[in-house]
Amino acid sequence: VSEPTPVPALLTTSEAFAFLTEVRDYAIYMIDPDGRILTWNEGAHAIKGYTAEQIIGESFTRFFTDEDRTQGKPTRLLARGAAEGRIQDEGWRVRKDGSHFWADVVLTAVYDRGTLRGFVKVTRDLTVRKQAEEQLRQSEENMRLLVESVKDYAIFMLDPEGRISSWNSGAERIKGYLAAEVIGRHFSLFYPPELLATQHPEHELEIAIREGRYEEEGWRLRKNGERFWAHVVITAVLDPQTGTLRGFAKVTRDLTERRRIEEQARRERQRAEETQSALEQRDEFIGLVAHELRTPLAALVLKVQGITRTIEEAGRQGHGVAPKLESRLQGAVQQTERIAELVERILDVARIVQGKLAMGLAPTSLLERTTRVVDRFRDPASRTGTELRLRAAGDPVGEWDPVRIEQAIATLIANAIKYGSGHPVQITVEDTDTGGRLLVTDHGIGIAPEDVERIFLRFGRAVPVRHYGGLGLGLYVARSIVEAHGGAIHVSSHPNEGTTFMIELPKHPRPAASDRGAPEEHPP
Amino acid sequence: MSEPAPVCNEFVLIVEDDLDLRESIAEVLEDNEYRPVGAANGKEAFERLRGKPERPSVILLDIMMPVMDGRQFRAIQREDPELGTIPVVVMTAHVDHEARRSLGADAFLEKPVHIDTLLAIVAQFCRKPQPSA
Repeated sequence: VSEPTPVPALLTTSEAFAFLTEVRDYAIYMIDPDGRILTWNEGAHAIKGYTAEQIIGESFTRFFTDEDRTQGKPTRLLARGAAEGRIQDEGWRVRKDGSHFWADVVLTAVYDRGTLRGFVKVTRDLTVRKQAEEQLRQSEENMRLLVESVKDYAIFMLDPEGRISSWNSGAERIKGYLAAEVIGRHFSLFYPPELLATQHPEHELEIAIREGRYEEEGWRLRKNGERFWAHVVITAVLDPQTGTLRGFAKVTRDLTERRRIEEQARRERQRAEETQSALEQRDEFIGLVAHELRTPLAALVLKVQGITRTIEEAGRQGHGVAPKLESRLQGAVQQTERIAELVERILDVARIVQGKLAMGLAPTSLLERTTRVVDRFRDPASRTGTELRLRAAGDPVGEWDPVRIEQAIATLIANAIKYGSGHPVQITVEDTDTGGRLLVTDHGIGIAPEDVERIFLRFGRAVPVRHYGGLGLGLYVARSIVEAHGGAIHVSSHPNEGTTFMIELPKHPRPAASDRGAPEEHPP
Repeated sequence: MSEPAPVCNEFVLIVEDDLDLRESIAEVLEDNEYRPVGAANGKEAFERLRGKPERPSVILLDIMMPVMDGRQFRAIQREDPELGTIPVVVMTAHVDHEARRSLGADAFLEKPVHIDTLLAIVAQFCRKPQPSA
């Protein structure tokens, strides 16, 4: 222990007291054992507002709030001061103008030879600090309330070991636990067995420590054992001063519903793709079957045609077969020709669907092609008593595929004969400024308005199959042919009055429509 | 360069890989007093043609065939001084304008072949046999 430094006798007691009187930052004054004010300094004036003249001799109780006075706080303080020698107190006090300030008070009892002479009171005005503290406290309180009231997110804290140290209402809602049930428990509680087996919770904390943050989506457990799909963010919380780990903030969202909707959408997409793929496979298969049927059918058609001819020839020379046999053979020819025709249409459809319907464009007269088709159909038409009337208003010529155009015309005329109930069929060729137009009008059963949309679709026939044969492919193919020429096909119809089909062809098909595909010998 | 003039006889060469179709065409032609000879592809066709004293009055040519297809056959045949003048009828489903030009065929026989069309086209190139009545 070092020798006490002798205090140089620079100041007398009264000089020292005079200096204390000048101190401005602290109220320093004496009170007698009953609390009456004996001395006063500049600091007391500045803080409390009274001058020495105004306050000396008055009771110090006036510095207390009404509430404190009523509760006897001044007397209690003096009693404690007397008993303990020195006490400290913080609390609201009242200035002369009635305003309050936050005072930090030290009260020291002064004894003279065992007798209490009074107290020295040193008071600091800590209002500003108190206000700052209050603001901080309120802000923390607000934050806590905010976090607690959030319902859509589970927000909670973990200590450095992963034990739960706080819990909000979102956590309660999502995970199903009350705060009292989980505080203090390890957060691995929320993880399904397969994640526990791989120490996944510990792994998450390790990454959060290493990288500051961990984020993932995955399955978690509710209290009732149910799984939910969670989006999880874990943030390491470090002490701002020391940088040591204080714990982890964990924010969890329940994305189960969103995941369900996404899953459903994904499954629907997949189903649609499978359906599309199945349709493509079907079309491809139909095309292959038709292609494979074609050659043997061609051979069959030629054979029966040949046999018929031979028999007819023999008949002309007087040694024919029974007439019954001849007409049956005639039927066989017709049936094989019909099959061959069907196979050709199916092949057309397969080509259209696969975008391989090639157009061989050449200068073509619409009237010439129409005349050829009309001539071809005169015989079959007359068998149903149908008269074909051809009217020409000009001779439009364009860059068209003559074979395909004939096919489209034949479809319309065959349809008109088929559904025309034996009434005359009017066929008109017109020259428009920009191309050619063909009208085919029958006066038959007509098409119901609700069916008009369907007739150009694949397999889109308007009448029941049992009434009329065929697959209903003709108009679909016809429309595809016309559209491949950059043209359009229209229909107007009234049930039981008849139907008019109109084809319009531009003289020069659009470039895209004149795309010349591979020769059609290739398998579809 | 003097090219051999087209002949006009009953000899018809059918170049078609499908045996049934080839035979059916042959039967129809036989029934109508022609002398059809078959070949399953372009290579066989040349074997039937080269070094033989008689040339057909017309060749019915399929396009899609194994070994040597109709295009290859036609390309070689057109350049051949002996065989280049033999008329060729291309049998096809449907060819575009370009294909028609590039094949340089004398006629096209649309598949499926109808007996009347077949006989009419062949008759264009051959002496129509007189009915044996």
